[in-house]
Amino acid sequence: MIDERTLQAALADHLPRQRWFAGDQDSAGAHSVVSMTVLKSGWPALVHVVVEAAGRRWQLAIGLRAIDAHDSFLDGKGDAVLGLVETTQGPAMAYDAVIDSELAPLLLAQAMPGAAVDRSRPMGADQSNTSVVFDERLILKLFRRLEDGPNPDVETTRGLLGVGFDHVAPLLAEWRDGAVHLAVVNEFLVGAVDGFQLALTSLRDLYDARVKPNEAGGDFGPEARRLGGVTARMHLAMSTAFATTPADPSAWADDMLEHLARVPSDRLDVSAVCAVYDRLRGVRPGPAIRVHGDYHLGQVVRTDAGWYVLDFEGEPARPLAERTRPSSPLRDVAGMLRSLHYASEVAIRDFGYADDPEAHELASDWERRNALSFLKGYNETEGIAVLLPPVETDHATTLLAFLLDKAVYEVGYEASHRPDWVGIPQSAVRRILEEAALT
Amino acid sequence: MAEARKWDGLERRGRAGAARRKKAKPSRVVADPEWYRKAVFYEVAVRGFYDATGDGSGDFVGLTEKLEYLEWLGVDCLWLLPFYQSPLKDGGYDVSEFFSVLPEYGTIGDAANFLQEAHHRGIRVIADLVLNHTSDQHPWFQESRLSRDNPKADWYVWGDDNQRWSEARIIFTDTEPSNWSWDPQREQFYWHRFFSHQPDLNYDNPEVQEAMLDVMRFWLDLGLDGFRLDAVPYLFERDGTNGENLPETHEYLKRIRKEVDDKYPGTVLLAEANQWPADVVQYYGDGDEFHMCFHFPVMPRMYMGLRREQRYPITEILAETPAIPDGCQWGIFLRNHDELTLEMVTDDDRDYMWTEYAKDPRMKLNMGIRRRLFPLLDNDRRVAELFHSLLFSLPGSPVMYYGDEIGMGDNIYLGDRDGVRTPMQWTPDRNGGFSRADFAQLYLPPVLDPVYGFQSVNVEAQLRNPSSFLQWVHRMVEVRKQHPVMGVGSFELLNAGNPSVLAFVRQTIGDDGQPDIVLCVFNLSRFAQPVELYLGQFEGHTPHELLGRVPFPPIGELPYFVTLAPYGFFWFELLPAPAEEARV
Repeated sequence: MIDERTLQAALADHLPRQRWFAGDQDSAGAHSVVSMTVLKSGWPALVHVVVEAAGRRWQLAIGLRAIDAHDSFLDGKGDAVLGLVETTQGPAMAYDAVIDSELAPLLLAQAMPGAAVDRSRPMGADQSNTSVVFDERLILKLFRRLEDGPNPDVETTRGLLGVGFDHVAPLLAEWRDGAVHLAVVNEFLVGAVDGFQLALTSLRDLYDARVKPNEAGGDFGPEARRLGGVTARMHLAMSTAFATTPADPSAWADDMLEHLARVPSDRLDVSAVCAVYDRLRGVRPGPAIRVHGDYHLGQVVRTDAGWYVLDFEGEPARPLAERTRPSSPLRDVAGMLRSLHYASEVAIRDFGYADDPEAHELASDWERRNALSFLKGYNETEGIAVLLPPVETDHATTLLAFLLDKAVYEVGYEASHRPDWVGIPQSAVRRILEEAALT
Repeated sequence: MAEARKWDGLERRGRAGAARRKKAKPSRVVADPEWYRKAVFYEVAVRGFYDATGDGSGDFVGLTEKLEYLEWLGVDCLWLLPFYQSPLKDGGYDVSEFFSVLPEYGTIGDAANFLQEAHHRGIRVIADLVLNHTSDQHPWFQESRLSRDNPKADWYVWGDDNQRWSEARIIFTDTEPSNWSWDPQREQFYWHRFFSHQPDLNYDNPEVQEAMLDVMRFWLDLGLDGFRLDAVPYLFERDGTNGENLPETHEYLKRIRKEVDDKYPGTVLLAEANQWPADVVQYYGDGDEFHMCFHFPVMPRMYMGLRREQRYPITEILAETPAIPDGCQWGIFLRNHDELTLEMVTDDDRDYMWTEYAKDPRMKLNMGIRRRLFPLLDNDRRVAELFHSLLFSLPGSPVMYYGDEIGMGDNIYLGDRDGVRTPMQWTPDRNGGFSRADFAQLYLPPVLDPVYGFQSVNVEAQLRNPSSFLQWVHRMVEVRKQHPVMGVGSFELLNAGNPSVLAFVRQTIGDDGQPDIVLCVFNLSRFAQPVELYLGQFEGHTPHELLGRVPFPPIGELPYFVTLAPYGFFWFELLPAPAEEARV
């Protein structure tokens, strides 16, 4: 329907501006259109397009309106506009269809035929997908980067729901092309706020009130403990819903060394870090299970029915097989503990207490209290012990290694993206090494 | 200000009205079978409101004189704490004669006159009534204990075995070792779910059932508009049960409801059942038992939401509150004559109030201590306004507690029950204008401390000050009554990305057939907060702020952005865009 030449020119400019597109200008220019399917003709038209670029396949839903009739809804949405293209119906303005409340319901209908909705609104874009909320009760997640097989988020959510773990958004419908997921529809969690926002609310109160974290009105401890409980139940459900395998701690240590090699060596005490990883090789680890893989406060939301876990896609930049590879549940635990540290430090900076030593002290008190509360909630969950290293010292060694791995990764990330922030993970690395020296 | 002067002037004319008392006055109560769903309730102790006779205790004549104030305040219905003849070992909940008034409070005639005057001002009156038990001083019990075969021998629950019904919990574990006590006169044990001086009536005896209906008929004939029935779950006892919420109990309560529906239409029955909302709903029956029940857990959770600066403690309990039958209503309150209680959630793992929030040092301090609203809120006017804005807009009918409208304090040294029942503070004069008796003669001393004492906190001063809390409450009551949707409308929580912000929409179709839509937004934080609200369903509507009638920017396609001052709130009426023709 769309003239390929004008579409390619528009995409070459459009793709690099999208948050979900991992390629660069050149790879965008060199893309090729894999498929183009007309979902609706006439104005406004809807065309489904899959392109290949930067070695991956990307999905777009393109809306088209006659050149003289593109309405005010495009005002101020430059990033969503592809520009002018030629079509068999004549010249048209092309744009990302998720912003068009006339076309978005048609996308929903691909997954849920016959779904009747009144309103739609696009939600902030993620790294790997774009979401549209319908009537504040359904959410359509359009996957941008198409996997080679089932999407791990959909697969994991379905598996967890299947074994009765109900702290994930209920899955209502899927849109797929063979085994490949194009989109998924979940129940929209009304009133949900992500864990990072909730942690900042607690910290704002703490830094102002200047009392012990457990005496502060905004104490996060009970929330952290409940979050620990939900996390443990998630792991137990994972171990029931998906295959568990014998763990190979040496392979974990090898992975960690590989991550370490990517970080500038002047930023850390490399030999001390290696020593902690080496100790991992000798532990009795407990089973390896399917894990969340990218677990932090931004991936959990508080609702009126407690904590819910989101986004089981793992780190999108890694290959699918690696993302679904079983690992230690302590990898997720470490991710959340690191996130608590980050929250306390981000709050210090955001609220303007960077030069206030008392605030720093409160920050570490807050982190300690909530890390302990989280671990208490996790470890007190019935049945969780079978997923953890049976010997106490092995448990500690494994958790420290995963904490260190995460902090090392953060050092590398901050060093290249936000050099001012590198002190946060560096201090964590020092602290973990000190702790490792004591055990 | 004009309102203030008007009332002040009427007050000064004062006691001349007493002479006219005997003349019958027409009731101006507006007939409406569902009045209680739109009404603002006001809980008051006869003893504590106004002493017209100068004996140190409030009385019906005094309460009658202050009806003018209550009418001005705008309340629709008074809830009177027990005023019956009583040895007052349990705040009047130990009744020794149902067909009488405690002499300090006046006579039956005073009560009847009060009811007539209240109705003349359009104010209804309901009263506490205890069905479960009487005082051991009650003639019924005195007769019953005389022998095992006297005419009232079976009016109470007697037994030779004090082990029977051991499944029933003991409510006052601090003072009562057992639900049975030995009566040396009859040489038998008698059953009591509360204090040992409060023997339980035997509802298996049809005469008792009939006698208590007679009590209700008597007061309804005199003009009462309903009852707040105390401790209703325990009327019957059955082997192998804990004696709570038995089917027989519901059956009798339904019989009461049928009686009032048939013979006293417009009467309201309000239950005290301090339980989880999901369990309380059984007292609504199928709309054929109680009209109203108190929503107990919401108040402590408002307090916790404030402490946490986030809405979840409140929204969780609202999400767990089941729908109730048509024509039924929740009673919402901030404080009452009892403590800030968490007892209804102790052994329920759905709730974390007790296991976690109750460990909060501040909560621990306040639990079990009877405090008034303002001391609980650190005397913060902004928070008091926020809490009242919630009280008047959450789904249910608000029940205010006397004195809270002027920000009265408490006296925790008086012992737990009396600390929040001190005299109403009318003026900065002697005894706070409550009584002309000698100070030492007062039933309880008025609050005298420098912050909450009557010299700084009193009705007179606040009537003169147009920016006082009292004037603000008066205005809120007025606005609430202009929008019956607050009482009868549907309730929908909105998705707010900011956890410190609570937002919901109330909707109904008004008497004029037009939608009545109110949007309420609250900031539970001491910091200013922004929020984006997704109001797509109201696109094109214009929010009008209700207190000032200020139109805000219309709701468009984008999320609606609202900024809130610390502890700020907004009530908006959402008005549809004018019709096309009107614009031309």
